[in-house]
Amino acid sequence: MSRRARQAVFGTGAAVLAVLFALAAAGLPPFGGDQHPYRDRAVAAALHQATANVVASLTFDLRGLDTLGEEMILLGSVVGAVALLRPRPDEKPHADDKTSRPQQDAVALISYVFLPLTLLLGFDLLVHGHLTPGGGFQGGVVLATGLHLLYLSGGYDALRRLRPLAWYEWVEGLTTAAFALAGTANLVNFLPHGRVQQLFSAGTVPILNILVGFAVGAGAVVLLAQFLTQAITLEGEG
Amino acid sequence: MLPAAIALPLLAGALLLAVGRHLPRLLADSAALLIAAAVAVLTGLVAIEATGGRLVTWAGTWRPVGIVLVADPLGAGLACLAALLTCCAMLYSRRYLEDAGTHFHVLMLLFLGGMTGFALTGDLFNMFVFFELMGAVAYALTGMRIEEPGSVQGAFNFAVINSLGAYLTLAGIALLYARTGELGMPQAGVALAGHRADATVVAAFVFVAAGLLVKAAVAPMHFWLADAHAVAPAPVCMLLSGVMVELGLYGVLRVYQVVFAGTIPQAVVTRAWVVLGLLTALVGSLMCAGQRHLKRLLAYSTIAHGGLFLAAAGLGAAGPIAGVALGVAGHAGAKGALFGVCGLLLDRHHSVDEGELHGRGGGWREPSCWLFLAAGLLLTGLPPFGPGLGKVVAEEGAWWLPAVSLLVSSITGGAVLRAGLRVFLGWGRRLPPPRPDQTYGGDESPETEEPLPRTPKSMLAALALLLAGSAAAGVTPRLAEWAGRGAAMFLDRGDYLRQALTGAAGHPPATVPEVGWTTSGVLLGLLATAGALAVAALQLRAGEAGVSEPGPLRRLHLGHIGDYVAWLFAGVATLAVLIGSSLI
Repeated sequence: MSRRARQAVFGTGAAVLAVLFALAAAGLPPFGGDQHPYRDRAVAAALHQATANVVASLTFDLRGLDTLGEEMILLGSVVGAVALLRPRPDEKPHADDKTSRPQQDAVALISYVFLPLTLLLGFDLLVHGHLTPGGGFQGGVVLATGLHLLYLSGGYDALRRLRPLAWYEWVEGLTTAAFALAGTANLVNFLPHGRVQQLFSAGTVPILNILVGFAVGAGAVVLLAQFLTQAITLEGEG
Repeated sequence: MLPAAIALPLLAGALLLAVGRHLPRLLADSAALLIAAAVAVLTGLVAIEATGGRLVTWAGTWRPVGIVLVADPLGAGLACLAALLTCCAMLYSRRYLEDAGTHFHVLMLLFLGGMTGFALTGDLFNMFVFFELMGAVAYALTGMRIEEPGSVQGAFNFAVINSLGAYLTLAGIALLYARTGELGMPQAGVALAGHRADATVVAAFVFVAAGLLVKAAVAPMHFWLADAHAVAPAPVCMLLSGVMVELGLYGVLRVYQVVFAGTIPQAVVTRAWVVLGLLTALVGSLMCAGQRHLKRLLAYSTIAHGGLFLAAAGLGAAGPIAGVALGVAGHAGAKGALFGVCGLLLDRHHSVDEGELHGRGGGWREPSCWLFLAAGLLLTGLPPFGPGLGKVVAEEGAWWLPAVSLLVSSITGGAVLRAGLRVFLGWGRRLPPPRPDQTYGGDESPETEEPLPRTPKSMLAALALLLAGSAAAGVTPRLAEWAGRGAAMFLDRGDYLRQALTGAAGHPPATVPEVGWTTSGVLLGLLATAGALAVAALQLRAGEAGVSEPGPLRRLHLGHIGDYVAWLFAGVATLAVLIGSSLI
C-alpha cells in the first residue's frame, strides 16, 4: 500500500476506536466509589492469611496461578532469546579483543561501593516481599543490576569470570521448576500463617517470593549475557 | 487434576532447562514426548469425564477470590488436541534444530502449558496470562532458524501484530474490571447479566475480542499468519496451524458466551462473526489458490478454514459448534501432516517452491507422496473422515453455509492437491521462475543439521499418526457424540455459571444435537472432493496462470508491518461498528 493509503486505513480505524474508547471511559463508574467487590474480598482474604502486603498476597497466594504463568513467560522469553541469539556457524570471537577496556576510576569506584549495597537491597526486597512493597520480581531485577555493576567496574572479563553462566541457568530452571511443582499441587498455601507483619508469616508467600526473585535475577543475567556476547565478543562474516 | 495438567509441562520445561545441557538428545526427546503424552492422557480423561458435568477447581482452593479453572468437553478436548499434536511434533522433530539443543524442547513444553492453561481457565485475566505465554514462546519458536534472514522478519511481524492485539485485549479487560469489579468470567458474567449493553460494555467486548481474533487470524488481522508459517520450522507450524489459531476462536466464543451473552444479544455478535468469517474464508481461499510457496499455501488454507469455523460456530447453535469441534480435530491432523511433508521437502531439496520442485518429490514410491495427497484429500472433506464430518455437520446451521463450505473446500483442497500432484508426480505444466514480486519458496536452508539420507522412521510415523488421527475423527461415533454433548454444554450458560460459582453438580444438557454422517452429508462431502479435483486439474492445465493471486489482494500481503498494523486497527474498528451500531 502507498503511504497515503496506509495512513487513511489506520486513521479511520483508530478514529473509530478512539471514539468508542472515549464513550466507554465516560460511562465508567466515577472515582472514589464504594463499589469494590474484588477489593473487599481480596483484602479480607489477605488479612486472614496474615499477609501484610496485600499485593503480595494477591500475586503469590490468591492469584498464584497468574504468577506461575508470568514466571513462565519470563522463562520462555529468556530461553527464546538464548535460542535466537545463539551464535551462528559463521560467527566467531572477535580478532581484536574488546573485552578488556580501560576503566574510568570514578565509575569503577562508584560501582565497587554500590555493588554490595545493591545486592543487599535486592535480598532485602526478596525477604520482606510479603511485608512491604517490593517482592520477587523487583528484588530479582535489583540483584541482576547489582551483579552487572561488575561490568562497569571491572569490565567484561571480570563479569565473565565471576558469572559462571551455567550456574545461572540451573538456578533459573530449578527455582522456576519449584514454583511449577507448587502449581501441580494447586498452589495451596499450606504452611502456618503466623502473625501479621512478622518475618515468618503469610505461609508460602515469602518462599514463592524468594523463588521468583532468584528466577528473575538469574533470568536477567542469562538474558543480558546473550546480548553482551553478541555485542562484544562475536563477529559475523557477512 | 486441572492444575496438574497445566503445571506438568511447565515443570518439565523448567527442569529440562536446568539439566538439559547434560542430557543426551535422545533422553531429552523422550522426556518431552512422554510429558506431552501424559498431558494428553490427563486432559483426555478430563474431557471424557466432563461430558457428565464440568470439572471445577479453584486454584489454591480460593473460592470466590481466586482463579477458577473450568473444564468442559470442548475446552479439555482442545487441550488434549494440543497435547496430541505436541506429541507428534516432538516425534517428528527428533532430528531437528540440533544446534538449539534442549531449548527447543523447553519452548515446546512451555507452549503446551500455555495452551492447556488457556483452554482450561475460567478467569479472564488468567486467560490473558496464558495467551501471552503462548505468544512469547511462539514468537521464539517461529524464529528458530536463525541462519535465515526471513525468519527474523516473519517472527517479528508475528510478534508485533500479536502484541498489539494483546494490548487491546488488556485494555478491554481493564474496562471490564472497571465496570464490574471482577476478573473471573462467571463473576463478571453475573455482574453484567440483564444490564443494557452501553458503550463501556461494547468497548470491553470489542477490545477483549481483538487480541483473540488476531490470534485466530481473522481477516483483516490475518496477515501475520502466512509470514510466520512461511519461516517457522515444520513441527512449530503443526502447532500454530493445528491448534493455536483455533484456540483464538475458542477464546473469543467462550468469553462471549460466559461474560457477555447476558447483555449483548446473540443475533448482534452472530452478524459480526458471519461477516468477518466469510471475509476471512474468501481472502484465505483466493490467496491459497495463488500460492506457489507450499508453506504459505497451507497457511492461507488455515486462514480460510478459520473463517469457515468462525462463521459456523458464530451462529451460536449447538449443531454447528459440534461440527466445528470435529472439523478442528480433523483439520489439525491433516494440516499437520502436510506441514510435515513440507519439512521433508525442505530438508531434501532446500526449497518449498512448487515450480522448483516440479516432479522432484520422488513419485509414487515415496511415502511422503502418499501422505501429502491423502492429507490433501482429507482436507477437501472426503467422506467418511474427520474434516469432512466436521464440515457437513457444521453446514446444517444456515442455508448458505453448504455453498460457502463447498467453495472453501474445493479451492483450498484443490490448491493442495494441485501442488502435491505437480511436486510428487510432475503433472501439469512447468512453472517459470517466479516474478520478483511473487512469493518464492526456493533457496532455503534445511531445518535439520545434516541432510537426512533417508526419511527417518520417526518422522514418517509422526505423519502417519497425524493422518490416522484426522481420519479417525470422522469414523468414531463416540467422539461425535462427545462433540455434540460438548457443544450443548458450551452453550448452556446458566449451567456454567451455576457450576463454576457454587460448585454444584452439572446437569446433562437438555438437548444434544445429532452428530453423524447423513446421506446428504456424504453427497456434499463427495461433491467438495470432486470440486477440489476439478480445481486441481484446471490449475495444473493453466500452468503459470493457475498460481497467481489477484493483484489488489497480493499488494496487501507484501509483508510491510505498517500495513498490517493499519489493517489491524481497521479490523477492530469494523468489529466495533458491527457490534456497536445496533446497541449504542
